[in-house]
Amino acid sequence: MEEENELMMRVTGLKKYYGEVHAVDGISFAIPRASVFTILGPNGAGKTTTLEILEGVRGPDAGEIEVFGIRLKRVTRAVKERMGVLLQDGNFEPYLKVKEVVRLFASFFKKALPTEEVLTRVALQEKTNAYVKTLSGGQLQRLAVGVALVNDPDLIFLDEPTTGLDPQARRNMWSIITDLRDQGKTIILTTHYMEEAEALSDRVCIMDYGTIIAKGSPRELTSRLGQETIIEFNTSSLETEDLTQLESYGKTAREDGGIVTVETENLVHTMEQMLAWSREREIPLTNMTVRQPNLEDVFLLLTGRRLRE
Amino acid sequence: MRAFQALLHTEYTVFLRDKASLTFTFLFPLIFILIFGFLMRGMGDVEDARLGLFVPAGVESKILERTVSSAGSMSVTRYDDQPSLQAALEKRTIDFGLIWDGTKLLFLYDSSRVQENYAFEEVATGITADFNLAHQGLSPALTVEKIHVGREAATDWFNLVVPGILAFSILSAGLFAVSGHITAMKERKLLDRMIVTPMRPIALLAAIICVRLAVVYISTLITLFIAMTVLKLTFAVDWFRYTVFVATSTLGMMGFGTLIALLVRKPSSASNIAHILSIVMMFLAGIYFPIEIMPSYLRTLSKALPLTYMAEALRYATGVIDMTETRFWGITVAMFALAVVLLPLLARYVVSADRR
Amino acid sequence: MKGILRIAAGHLFTAFRERVTLFWFLIFPLFLLTILTLIFGNMGQEGEISFAISVVNLESNTAGPVDFAAIVEGVFEETGTASEEGKEPLFTLTHPSDGEDLEEFLAREKEALRLGHRAAVIVIPEGFNQELLERMMRSGSSPSENGAFTIYINEGNAASEMATSIIEQILSGIDRQFLAHVGRFQEEEAIPSETLWVGSGGEELSYVDFLLPGVILMGFFVNGLFGVPGSILFARDRRVLRRYWVTPLTVPRYLAGFSLGHLTLCLIQFALIFMLARFAFRATITFAEPMPILFLLLGAITFLTFGFFIASVAKTANAGMAIANILNMPMMFLGGLFFPIGGLPTFLKVIVYANPVTYLAEGLRMSLGIQGETFSIPLTLAVPVGWIAFCIFVASKRLSWDVKR
Repeated sequence: MEEENELMMRVTGLKKYYGEVHAVDGISFAIPRASVFTILGPNGAGKTTTLEILEGVRGPDAGEIEVFGIRLKRVTRAVKERMGVLLQDGNFEPYLKVKEVVRLFASFFKKALPTEEVLTRVALQEKTNAYVKTLSGGQLQRLAVGVALVNDPDLIFLDEPTTGLDPQARRNMWSIITDLRDQGKTIILTTHYMEEAEALSDRVCIMDYGTIIAKGSPRELTSRLGQETIIEFNTSSLETEDLTQLESYGKTAREDGGIVTVETENLVHTMEQMLAWSREREIPLTNMTVRQPNLEDVFLLLTGRRLRE
Repeated sequence: MRAFQALLHTEYTVFLRDKASLTFTFLFPLIFILIFGFLMRGMGDVEDARLGLFVPAGVESKILERTVSSAGSMSVTRYDDQPSLQAALEKRTIDFGLIWDGTKLLFLYDSSRVQENYAFEEVATGITADFNLAHQGLSPALTVEKIHVGREAATDWFNLVVPGILAFSILSAGLFAVSGHITAMKERKLLDRMIVTPMRPIALLAAIICVRLAVVYISTLITLFIAMTVLKLTFAVDWFRYTVFVATSTLGMMGFGTLIALLVRKPSSASNIAHILSIVMMFLAGIYFPIEIMPSYLRTLSKALPLTYMAEALRYATGVIDMTETRFWGITVAMFALAVVLLPLLARYVVSADRR
Repeated sequence: MKGILRIAAGHLFTAFRERVTLFWFLIFPLFLLTILTLIFGNMGQEGEISFAISVVNLESNTAGPVDFAAIVEGVFEETGTASEEGKEPLFTLTHPSDGEDLEEFLAREKEALRLGHRAAVIVIPEGFNQELLERMMRSGSSPSENGAFTIYINEGNAASEMATSIIEQILSGIDRQFLAHVGRFQEEEAIPSETLWVGSGGEELSYVDFLLPGVILMGFFVNGLFGVPGSILFARDRRVLRRYWVTPLTVPRYLAGFSLGHLTLCLIQFALIFMLARFAFRATITFAEPMPILFLLLGAITFLTFGFFIASVAKTANAGMAIANILNMPMMFLGGLFFPIGGLPTFLKVIVYANPVTYLAEGLRMSLGIQGETFSIPLTLAVPVGWIAFCIFVASKRLSWDVKR
């Protein structure tokens, strides 16, 4: 049980309805300081709306938010002073220079970091005098992160921070995020990428249909799946009897888009049987992998859907 | 305050760097003035009309010539026969023709000059009347003395038009500042990143308004200056009233633009609607021709348009017409009221999030 | 061939589905035709225009044989009543209130004139009857004399000038009647005047007949100026075109389909505008002859290629629209489509003579028989053809069909 003053944010019974639609249907969670808290969920799960409420863009219909030790019905300007927000999409004025953008956003806060420092943090120093319209996708994303950090916030929202970035840029972003966490900042992250959630998160909450269906650290969540091991292979032709047969070797088996997934608690036993089956049925176990369960599997177990549509 | 200053800097920097928009804003009213002014000046103006005259040999024409020369400052060209007169008319070497054969006066017009002929016909009627009297040794008994009541300055037809065009450029600038500039910012998601910060929307609005007011004022001054130097017009500008009115009417039109932005679903549609409304208003507000010549239902419509009153107030502020102080300040206050009521709604529009 | 037709159809449907396009290409020309006809179609005609005036009769000596002052006043009173039911009277007169002193009334009216609420104030002075009689006996006024009466006008009010010329016309009619009445003017020896309309079969041309060719050309013009670069540039910028180029579709076939779609749109414009003019405003001209059709076709093609020209000099779609906007006003209004282009200063005349619109408009009107020959017919054909050649040349060199990768 965390101490009260170790919590950055506590959300209780948050609700948001759009007419008949319960976009956010009574969710509660607590976020400790200096951690990365990730919200996962398929499209339409309500995570975007939840974020908007926490960022102060919309007001909730019910519930309470406690942040920076203050109890609120909705996020106020005073709270915004100490928050940084990276939106999923949004544009900067193309005719402005990079440094002018940072200075502009800096002027919105009572306390802000010097422009140079901000640009150095996101590795955009050489682009200080470049016009926004000349920046690449990755550079624009870094500028957006810089803008989100301009007031040296203690609480940072990162909405899909690496979408559309190439692998190198994604790695860079990850190290920025972990650096921030190590500096004692609290980060609320949303993402579509399971590896990202696993790599960065201290706590994860999975949302679907407006409610939280699971909460915990990545390890806690995957351990729901017990002492399982997962065996996967590719196939082009599999019949129902085959799947039933495979399932009998382990705990569960399913096929999805040409990938067969078999879960087992007894790896060796299942493996032997599968190899025999493969030889007998003359179905090769192409691209076979053996791995530990990940968040994707948890997600699939809980929602019946994949994280990435 | 810092936010306002930074936003102000951003607004005018972006405005100055967007060369296309910059030229458009300043060039547009000028193009209007020059083109429309010159084009429509021709209508109804018969001072330099060219008359072609043919009198067959043997017909007495002295009286007619005297009548014609006293009918106004027309130029008269004589032709040797009817076909050459008609040819000159078709070629537009002359504006209308007159043939006197001793028994009747035959006036010839080019049927395709529909908008100008009524003025020539008026001259013709005058010539017929005067000639009839002169032919019998008479001159008109019922003469008229015209006395001008009103301001000194305005005598050229342009003087009436220029304030109307200034009014139109203020209308456009104010309207499109909101249903154009701000709606585009919303549509291009430039506002999104700002509204998640503690930025107060009023700071953004104030910055946009300041820049827009400055731009409008400078643009109208440039237009006035060009009108005075290139078109050689004189205006007796009451700078206090002019400044106050330009400011309040710009704000009022921004309020009007807000109304459009609030009523229309898509931000991009707002600027289209604004464009359409401004063109319709331009025709109906009595800028280029007096509203008296419009059918009564159009006249009524004209009296419902803000542009009509803006043009009138600017004619007063530039010394072209007279107006009671009550009326002028009434119009000014109405513009301001429009702003006061609607601009706060604009502040809310700026920060309202769209349903994602 | 099927591909070409499909592209043409696609172009057409897109144009209709985008409401903005629909407005500017179809509704705006119809609107312009309507507004201009309603406003200018009745220039100088009674029943549609109306001015506010007042008549102040200060004559007190009504004893003589004829009370001229009262007659004059009566004539103007009559103009204050409508000649037909439902139409407006030419003048709307204001009268003094009961028992008001006439001098006070005059002062009040002059103030109203100053403020723009009246177009003119006519004052019949004291002693008018006597003075007029004397003048008529003397065979009329001498030029050095004052006017027999006064009209107060306001030069800052455009309506004032118009109203005054109408008033002067009425007065000269009255003048003649008076002179006849006192036996000075012999009506039997009056000289009649006749009118001959040169250029359109001897009849006066109605305003809508003059305007119609111009509005149709304007429709084609905005279609070519905005629609063509707009479609191409936005399709290019949004990489829609790129998807075409990775198929066997070639640029020439795309252009053929595009042009076909454009011409069909022009045809629809023509049909709608023509029907409105015909049925709502009773236009009489028809285009059912080879030369007018040739000019219409030439116009549609000229503006099509002009659109290509703009698409080839603009780097982005927005730049293209900006260029189109700047060219729009000068080309449209300095092309003689709506207003006569006679009395323009030299620097504007240059634009007029370089403008293909000018030649198309004049040529079309000449071929419809509503205008005499201002330019020679070959010239009206040659200049647009020259523009077409120029535009095609530039576009073939400069128009890029894909954005940089």
